[in-house]
Amino acid sequence: MPFDAADQDTDEALLLAYGRGDARAARVLTLRLTPWVLAYARRLLRDAAEAEDVAQEAMLRLWRIAPDWRSGEAKVTTWLYRVVTNLCTDRLRRRRGAALDAVPEPVDDSPGAETRLQQAARVAALDAALAGLPDRQRQAVILRHIEGLSNPEIAAILEIGTEAVESLTARGKRALAQALAGRREELGFDDD
Amino acid sequence: MTDPRMNDHEIEALFAAARAERAEPSAALMARIMDDAMIAAAEAAAPRPVAPRPVAAQTGRRGLLAVLVAAIGGWPALAGVATAGVFGLWIGYAGPGDVGTLTATILGSAYGPNDLVPSLDTYLTEG
Repeated sequence: MPFDAADQDTDEALLLAYGRGDARAARVLTLRLTPWVLAYARRLLRDAAEAEDVAQEAMLRLWRIAPDWRSGEAKVTTWLYRVVTNLCTDRLRRRRGAALDAVPEPVDDSPGAETRLQQAARVAALDAALAGLPDRQRQAVILRHIEGLSNPEIAAILEIGTEAVESLTARGKRALAQALAGRREELGFDDD
Repeated sequence: MTDPRMNDHEIEALFAAARAERAEPSAALMARIMDDAMIAAAEAAAPRPVAPRPVAAQTGRRGLLAVLVAAIGGWPALAGVATAGVFGLWIGYAGPGDVGTLTATILGSAYGPNDLVPSLDTYLTEG
């Protein structure tokens, strides 16, 4: 496989290289990190334009910290997840007071086969249910079950203990099950 | 009939659907982020002294590379080139539609990022 040598470098090695003035490292980091930074921000904010702003701001903070990055202290991804989480929290606080139904619903008009439509409907239902959770529960559930991170990593991102992470994700999942009760059939979960 | 709560298996199916649905960043966003990277590097590399040092002193302190970059207009001059590279790369991958994750696409492609944008050394020798 045609690997770019820089593609094999760790995020931290690339960040340090960028801090020393390596433009290629910035390019690889941009391509590698932006997609999931954006996806995570979109999941938290449920607003594509705002998520783009957050992704750009988070990456800008990464560029600015690069010259001062201390090797081995934190994972780049953990640091970035924390920045995105905090930026999104700030924006959600500014929205506070807005009625829940004022938050834009994801448009469920994805063309294609029935299964694709069902997948889209499931994602939309999950996003709507997630939006109803308290901030910390939502962040923990997304990081654990959608981003696929470990509890210790989530604890580092949210700056809480691992027991608190376990509690948040458990309560979050229960709340989701409650919120989605009544939509099982609609989402293709038939009782047999 | 009342529907029971979703069970763990069903909720996991929703999470799986969410994991599978990843909106790819737009080319414009990637270009803006790359621009920011070049500008931030320029700011970090060249904190403006009030009185510029003599070239010889700068050479000793900042190294030949920094002087050469400065000679062609500094990091901002590279921003456009790098941005164009990322933009083109992104159009190539994102344009056709359902292409899966970028990483997989890059790794499965015959081209790597290096093939589309030459190294910094190339910019310098061209300058």
